[in-house]
Amino acid sequence: MAGTMTIKLVFSGGLELLFGNERNQSVLIPPFVPSDNSTHSSPDTPSTGETKAADLEYLIYHLRDHVLKERPELFMENGTIRPGILVLINNTDWELEGEGSYQLCNNDEIVFISTLHGG
Amino acid sequence: MSSCGNPAAEEHALMPRRLKFGKSKDCVRCRLKPGNIVIRHAVYCKECFTPIVDMKFRKALEPSVNARAGTSKRPKLKASGNLCLGFSGGLGSSILLDIVHNTYFSSRPPLDDSGNPRGGINHPRNASVWPSCIVCYVETCGAFAGMQDMTEDIRSVVERYPSFDFVPLRIEDAFDGSWWTNVSGSNSTPQVCLELSKEGLITDGLHVASNVIGLTPVEAMRTYLSSLPTQTAISSALQNLTRVLILHTAHSRGSSHLLFGSSLTSLSISLLSSISQGGGYAIREELQEEWAPVAASGPKPSNVLRVIRPLRDVTAKECAVYAWWNSISVIGRDKQRRAILGIAALTKKLTYSSDFVVGLEKDYPSTVSTIARTCEKLEPKDAPSGQCRLCKRPMQSAIQEWKGRISIRSYSDNKLSADLAHIPSPCRGNLDTSTPSQVPPLLSLTDFLCYSCHTTLTSRSSRGVKQSAPVISSAAPLPIWVANRDLHEDGLMGDGARRKISEEEMLDNVAEFLIDN
Repeated sequence: MAGTMTIKLVFSGGLELLFGNERNQSVLIPPFVPSDNSTHSSPDTPSTGETKAADLEYLIYHLRDHVLKERPELFMENGTIRPGILVLINNTDWELEGEGSYQLCNNDEIVFISTLHGG
Repeated sequence: MSSCGNPAAEEHALMPRRLKFGKSKDCVRCRLKPGNIVIRHAVYCKECFTPIVDMKFRKALEPSVNARAGTSKRPKLKASGNLCLGFSGGLGSSILLDIVHNTYFSSRPPLDDSGNPRGGINHPRNASVWPSCIVCYVETCGAFAGMQDMTEDIRSVVERYPSFDFVPLRIEDAFDGSWWTNVSGSNSTPQVCLELSKEGLITDGLHVASNVIGLTPVEAMRTYLSSLPTQTAISSALQNLTRVLILHTAHSRGSSHLLFGSSLTSLSISLLSSISQGGGYAIREELQEEWAPVAASGPKPSNVLRVIRPLRDVTAKECAVYAWWNSISVIGRDKQRRAILGIAALTKKLTYSSDFVVGLEKDYPSTVSTIARTCEKLEPKDAPSGQCRLCKRPMQSAIQEWKGRISIRSYSDNKLSADLAHIPSPCRGNLDTSTPSQVPPLLSLTDFLCYSCHTTLTSRSSRGVKQSAPVISSAAPLPIWVANRDLHEDGLMGDGARRKISEEEMLDNVAEFLIDN
């Protein structure tokens, strides 16, 4: 799997319940992915059609389609992360890194924290 | 780039996405390091972020610590009683435990170069503001089948803070006479119930039906919840039961302050939810209140409990980041567990309000604080007429008169009879067109409930009557504190009605106490 990137994932704040109760996981993402965020092709096979550099927006689709175990509506909404879920890219707010358009790098750590479990 | 959403615009017209922070990505506080987090358009680095949250916490709490405000601008903090923390296992209350411990209960104060306590003698960590601290947790698994008891998990979290004493409660304690005896000192308080209609719902009349009915606390609680008319009512009832349980427990243990870990986000959600269910009169109490139980007899209790939400200026995002960067583990609240388990109906009230507020926080974060600040400015026009027997919050006067003015109570009114002509004959049988009796109505519990509690007990869903499990008895048990004050004295029990006695009868009753002229 030459060229694939290892992305480390951490789920917290109850979000791990949606991902098989596994807090720490990792996924392999190809360097270039379909522009329409289609996740049907595997990291091994090159995707046809328009492509883009793998970004956080694609990662979210990939997680929904291949890693999430249940209740996708609690993770994703209107093509992006559901409001109330905080995303940190290497310990930095994704709002400072361009949100979904942040281009993934090898060994990036992406943390998803749900803030919906109140006081 | 993103579309402006205007359907009349050109298909490919894009506008630059508005930045969620200022021009610079550097920390606005130290201006040295690159920022790590954006909070309401301001960028902070990781090192500057934690002290800011700590400062917001202390700013919200410390003005209310001393019993009297005094004249000093920076008075020595000294509370009149001990501290109670309401802990749910959620994000806010987990952070609350950590901040309170680190600020007021950590054992070894750091010293400066001269060997004196750093920060001076008035710094919170150097003075014992509260002599002790208890942490109250209310387990609600008894209300729902299939829910796991989290008490021991919660206990393990609290045990990480050796200065705190753990006080576990159960939601069914609200129907347990032995718990009530412990907190109130009352030897015997009857278990009272409300009459149910033939549909198994609490009647509008809210008449107290009977005394002890032989149910266990869990059975009584489940019967009470299953008699409520809507899922929203069940959620409200659980919140009220939890809050009153903790209020009484804190008060009975000599606490002067009770803290809840509601963040700005969850507070805004609860304010909107409360108002939507008729709780507007007690909106100030939702933010902060001074509470004392209304005594059945004897002198009024001298210790007043100050209920404070010191995280009320900290958004949920700030709480999440604070917990992550300070390695505070969060077990999670029962609402989220219910959501994951698919008990969706019980989170509906949470869903509508929280979706709105959480969405606001994402795109317009300053608006969330506007909700809380606007509610802070609201004040009822008139003084309360007492304390609601069910939720223990201030109760406005003349609720029933107001409801009578704005609602149709009977179809016997001549003006309405013409309206009945359009209703098909088979359907008219359900309408009560009889003339109401001229006999004064029985005094009911309605007169001792706030508008919100009355709505909780009697509102009907527009989707029809809730299909509930078969009710065990024909009466709905009420929480044990409802019968605290003498129900006979209030005319709710006995013959069920007060009657006006003549002057001669009144004179006969007091004749032996009169002093002859």
